[in-house]
Amino acid sequence: MNDDAVGSNNPDDSTDFGFSRVDRTAKASMVREVFDSVASRYDLMNDLMSGGIHRLWKRFTIELSAARAGQTILDIAGGTGDLAAKFSRLVGPDGRVILADINAAMLEVGRDRLIDKGATGNIDIVQADAQALPFEDDSIDCITIAFGLRNVTDKATALRSMLRVLRPGGRLLVLEFSKPTSPLLAKIYDQYSFQVLPVMGTLIAQDSDSYRYLAESIRKHPDQDTLLGLMEEAGFVNGSYHNMTGGIVAVHRGFKA
Amino acid sequence: MTRHDPALLSAALLGAERALNQAILLAPTSHRELEALSGTLLGIEVTSLELTLYVELVPGAEVRLLNHCEEKPTAFVRGSIEDFTALIASDDPAATLINSGIELQGSSASLIHLQQVISGMDIDWEAPLVERLGDVMGHQIAEALRSVFSWSEGARKSLKRQLSEYLLEEGRLTPPKLELEHFFEGVQTLSMQVERAQAKVERLMAKAASRRTQ
Repeated sequence: MNDDAVGSNNPDDSTDFGFSRVDRTAKASMVREVFDSVASRYDLMNDLMSGGIHRLWKRFTIELSAARAGQTILDIAGGTGDLAAKFSRLVGPDGRVILADINAAMLEVGRDRLIDKGATGNIDIVQADAQALPFEDDSIDCITIAFGLRNVTDKATALRSMLRVLRPGGRLLVLEFSKPTSPLLAKIYDQYSFQVLPVMGTLIAQDSDSYRYLAESIRKHPDQDTLLGLMEEAGFVNGSYHNMTGGIVAVHRGFKA
Repeated sequence: MTRHDPALLSAALLGAERALNQAILLAPTSHRELEALSGTLLGIEVTSLELTLYVELVPGAEVRLLNHCEEKPTAFVRGSIEDFTALIASDDPAATLINSGIELQGSSASLIHLQQVISGMDIDWEAPLVERLGDVMGHQIAEALRSVFSWSEGARKSLKRQLSEYLLEEGRLTPPKLELEHFFEGVQTLSMQVERAQAKVERLMAKAASRRTQ
């Protein structure tokens, strides 16, 4: 487990930024720079990097959300709004979807995409930090955070903040890169992440450093069981996770008692 | 929930869902009938594949195929892949449902209605072909496709009939339905006669035993 996982209990004031150590207060702005750099081509790069599989991972996450008409769904680190667009249809005109991201550039891209898709009327767009969510206690039915938690400086604080705003019985779904279950797959995945990914980043987004950070941050993120433990420590109950694509990605689910 | 990788299953369901929704769009009659079934949720457990999936009919006559669902289904069916294949192809779904190994919970009416709509789906291939290839070319290809489908349907029915005739009449490999029913009636009558005879024997033996004790 890395020091992010223990959050505010970390004795020194540094944290991981990929494989580097940086000042805790600097991480948010460094992550913002990464996403400012990739925002306009984020979806294209995701499609190319994952071969389109990220859509399948998100599809299963939406099924696990059990979203129904009239519910309030918060999509944290929702960036370009692909989950929010689907939730918008599921919750209908009586429901509400909040697309939240700490990064203004990603939100701008997301807002434009949602307007282009005609997904408006029941979606609010909010620039917010996952560690200090600006919503009332017990006000959200379901929270999703897809490929966002690993970029949060203090994961434990963020999880507690999510628990606070969830309604009792509400659920949190964390979709995030994780640890492959097969050693062979882990080797192939490493080669792909550190050899192929930065080259793709250079060719498509003209930014190999940002994509190198993305690969490094995935390796520093807690594995399946560690993240489940973090969720339980934060107060979530009935926690579980599903590995997808051999554990490259896992979706964790926990409920507020 | 199944033991399969959710991403793999989602890929298969996504492909099937898109194909099904495209087919529904090209079948106006089925489109209207499915619209009326909107809100139906069908759970399907295929025991031989250890697979559970859900079919949801949403407004707009769209079908959603789900890997995970927490709503209570209108009908939930459990059976082997062979049972479901037979049910989909059946001309008499109610009889197939009763006679097959499929377990059903919930409303059988909605399941039978859905099976009838899907098996009776008449897809109009001409519209998308004309849209892409123009009136003349599109119509010619659609005509050719119709001929192929019509021939294959005729060939299927003819083969089924001929196979049935061969098995029943020529080869005498399986008995005709009436003969089989007559045989079962005979077996049932014999079984009842044996039971009656056994009861009579037991009564006589009991009488004989009581006489001996006197």
